[in-house]
Amino acid sequence: MKSVVTTVVTAADAAGRMPSASDLESVQGSIQRASARLEAAEKLAAGFDAVVKEAGDACFAKYPYLKQAGEAGDNQGKVDKCYRDIGHYMRLINYCLVVGGTGPLDEWGIAGAREVYRTLNIPTAPYVAAFAQARERGCSPRDMSPQALAEYNSLLSYVIESLS
Amino acid sequence: MLDAFSRAAVSADAKTACIGANEIASLKQYIAKANTRLDAVNAITSNANCIVSDAVAGMICENTGLIQAGGNCYPNRRMAACLRDGEIILRYIAYALLAGDASVLDDRCLNGLKETYIALGVPLTSQARAVAIMKASSLAHINETNTETQMAESNQMLQQRYNKMGTVKGDCSMVSAEAASYFDRVISALS
Repeated sequence: MKSVVTTVVTAADAAGRMPSASDLESVQGSIQRASARLEAAEKLAAGFDAVVKEAGDACFAKYPYLKQAGEAGDNQGKVDKCYRDIGHYMRLINYCLVVGGTGPLDEWGIAGAREVYRTLNIPTAPYVAAFAQARERGCSPRDMSPQALAEYNSLLSYVIESLS
Repeated sequence: MLDAFSRAAVSADAKTACIGANEIASLKQYIAKANTRLDAVNAITSNANCIVSDAVAGMICENTGLIQAGGNCYPNRRMAACLRDGEIILRYIAYALLAGDASVLDDRCLNGLKETYIALGVPLTSQARAVAIMKASSLAHINETNTETQMAESNQMLQQRYNKMGTVKGDCSMVSAEAASYFDRVISALS
């Protein structure tokens, strides 16, 4: 699982050396930003259902054709699965905020997602609309502190990049 | 390989749940104690050579048969292998202490270690004893209770390496207990 600490340890292990002063410095650097990340993770977990619902609503509002017959959201079950997927991505963002790296998103969300969506004939643009809405909607200091919001938004951008 | 944070992610993923306030509270403790932890890792890495050679010297003092002909540390080649192994084990313990999780120690060091030693004919009790001495001296370095006389008294070489880290004193009971648990993990994996 990729995070600052595991990256440092992997590099040190490959060279067969003890953690050096610069390794400890980089861990310290990530720790310093950790309180903002944990704040964002905590706030996201607290408002999780509302965030997912709003993001999902945004994608069907922007692409109403999805609910027409023969499209990716033509029955309630498929619509629910869309919300569920957005929830999965949001949950992985919550993990990434805690871990301090993109490891959980990379390993459990993004790897293979493109192939799966192509096989199932699901457009990715609506997901982008959903996460773009979530990125727009976050507001500091109403939702979280500016630094926490920046961390949260950068992960949303990461998901959007991977789906575009 | 996991650290304290990714361990939380993996166990939350198993339940398909968000990492909530409870888990985050315990991670905040890791962050609050992060400087202590980094000082502890530094105390081990800065004194690694001393810790390892003191432990191997102590192990041999207690069982001098090891360096007599036919002993497991007899030619210099095997003594060198012993010192090298001590350093490797200490290195993985330092990694685990830095990560706050034992997975790197388990996966990359302890998995199959006992079987390897049995196959090579390395006496496990001696190795475990060396690790126990490394534990004692590492904890002394972390807590800065190390003194000159605690080093092998007859050994001038080791006494010259006496080193007080001089970090600001604080409560490092949690970190030193965690470090002790990693040493104990190695000892129980060997026995």
